[in-house]
Amino acid sequence: MSSANEKFQFVKIDEFASEHISAPHYSYWKSVFKQFFKSKLAIAMLFMAVIIFAIAMIQPLFSNYNPLASPDISDFSIRFNRPNLTYWFGTDHWGNSLFDAVWSGARTSITIALLATSINMTVGITVGAIWGYNKKLDKYLLEIYNVIANVPFLLVALMLIYVLGPGFWQLIFVLCMTEWLSIAYFIRTQVMIIRDREYNLVSRTLGTSSTRMISRNILPFLTSVIVTLLSREIPSIISTEAFLSFLGVGLPPSITSLGKLISIYITYYGTYPYLFWIPVAVLASVSVSFYIVGQTFADASDPKTHR
Amino acid sequence: MTSKEVLLSLKDVTITFPKGKGVFTAVREASFDIYKGETFALVGESGSGKTTIGRSIVRINPLAKGSIEFEGKDISGRLNSEDTKWVTKSIQMIFQDPATSLNERATVDYIISEGLYNFHLYKDEADRKAKVLKSLTEVGLLDEHITRYPHEFSGGQRQRIGIARAMVLEPKLIVADEPISALDVSIRAQVLNLMKTLQEDKGLTYLFIAHDLSVVRFISDRIAVIHLGRIVELADTEELFKNPLHPYTKSLLSAIPMPDPIMESKKVPLFYDGSQHDYSTDLPSFVEISKDHFVWANTKELETYTKALVV
Repeated sequence: MSSANEKFQFVKIDEFASEHISAPHYSYWKSVFKQFFKSKLAIAMLFMAVIIFAIAMIQPLFSNYNPLASPDISDFSIRFNRPNLTYWFGTDHWGNSLFDAVWSGARTSITIALLATSINMTVGITVGAIWGYNKKLDKYLLEIYNVIANVPFLLVALMLIYVLGPGFWQLIFVLCMTEWLSIAYFIRTQVMIIRDREYNLVSRTLGTSSTRMISRNILPFLTSVIVTLLSREIPSIISTEAFLSFLGVGLPPSITSLGKLISIYITYYGTYPYLFWIPVAVLASVSVSFYIVGQTFADASDPKTHR
Repeated sequence: MTSKEVLLSLKDVTITFPKGKGVFTAVREASFDIYKGETFALVGESGSGKTTIGRSIVRINPLAKGSIEFEGKDISGRLNSEDTKWVTKSIQMIFQDPATSLNERATVDYIISEGLYNFHLYKDEADRKAKVLKSLTEVGLLDEHITRYPHEFSGGQRQRIGIARAMVLEPKLIVADEPISALDVSIRAQVLNLMKTLQEDKGLTYLFIAHDLSVVRFISDRIAVIHLGRIVELADTEELFKNPLHPYTKSLLSAIPMPDPIMESKKVPLFYDGSQHDYSTDLPSFVEISKDHFVWANTKELETYTKALVV
């Protein structure tokens, strides 16, 4: 008995030991990227998007493609060449290289999409956040929204283009004027869901300003919603631009875009199908890759998927 | 309590909310004083207006009538930025549900610093960090928790983060809105004891909002019983348990569960029916029936209450 007493002694409870968290440190953005790179499809699509983006931005610098100039117009032998080693995507009815035309068009389309999307998202999120947060403002803005949202998009777009005339910046303006309001409305609804959660009340008792409430209490919860929106917005702008160009409004003849190429080459759909299908394929690749990358990123930015 | 210095004083506080085209009166003419260093409990059933009173003190719910004075200064209306800073710093709140009252996308560091950031209550980054760590240690959490997110903590730990967030501003009065009712029974004592220790160390004053009378008896010095937005009785804790006068207080006390199953089964709960009061001609008022014991009664009831009073 005595030997047992010598061997054992009472140990005091270490109260702080029970407070220790053994789980590794959690970092939001690290988990987002970890989750994103789990998807092989997303990696492939990201790769594709980067490649397309890089070629579209760089290739036109060397080709100096001008849709108005057709230097080889008198050389009949290089009209309607099918894709070969000299002309990778073939040549069209004026003897212009489709490879040059497609990347020049892709460059315009992607630039317009990125510019219009970033303007739309910035304006839409800012207005939407204030709109959703401020109850008094909501009453008036909702009425304005109801009026504007019910005017058909095409009507507004066509009218604006006729007033402003065709042009690169005019087209971006048109795409912004018609899109930002729906983004703002969407964000408003999302903000209203989060606005009345209890921790916002806590922040009010701590004297937090509205700006800080929006930026620290509300917008961080909307990351995945905003990324989802972004992933839809870029392909949607590309398609809208293609649609407007296809109708023949928006860009002046001196600037080409994927939509314009498709509208020009649709005449050869039966005779020289590559002229139609290659621009369509590039347009689809841009849309799909941006969309899938965006969607996977949106899923990854939802902390519910983090483990 | 030797010194009876009034810290917070509510006078005829009436709070209304719009309800359809009319108004809903949540609190009717509530008046009470909270003395420095005491724990003042506000008890009543759900929807009786106790949380509404608490929120009006931290200036979330505006008053329809009456005034709230803190250290002799009216804080119920609009204040200039200097006074807002002073009131926010001096009166803080602990919230009921630790699951919803912490920002899930912010680290513990930011959550606790939020009040400091708002009024820039620190000299430099190192000072802020030191204040946050001090406040974390006070509530029994570890330094390493500073980079963690709320979802990594247990309910009791989360509630202690909520307490640390209030404490870091070094307030004088803390409105504790049912701080333990959302917690597991096994950790309620932990949080209550922490609140008591902090009160002794810092000389804090609590307004403790609760519906659990056994907890209230443990922690508070004085109790106000509120029913449908009306304070019906106010007395020192032991006086109230000894001499419950208003039938609603009696009914509340009779509902306290007993930790003995045989006694519990024999218990006869009293039901309170508001129609027993005849206030048609003889109007009631809030009267001091004996020293520091107030009750809401009319002249006739006051006579019966005085007879029933055990000295």
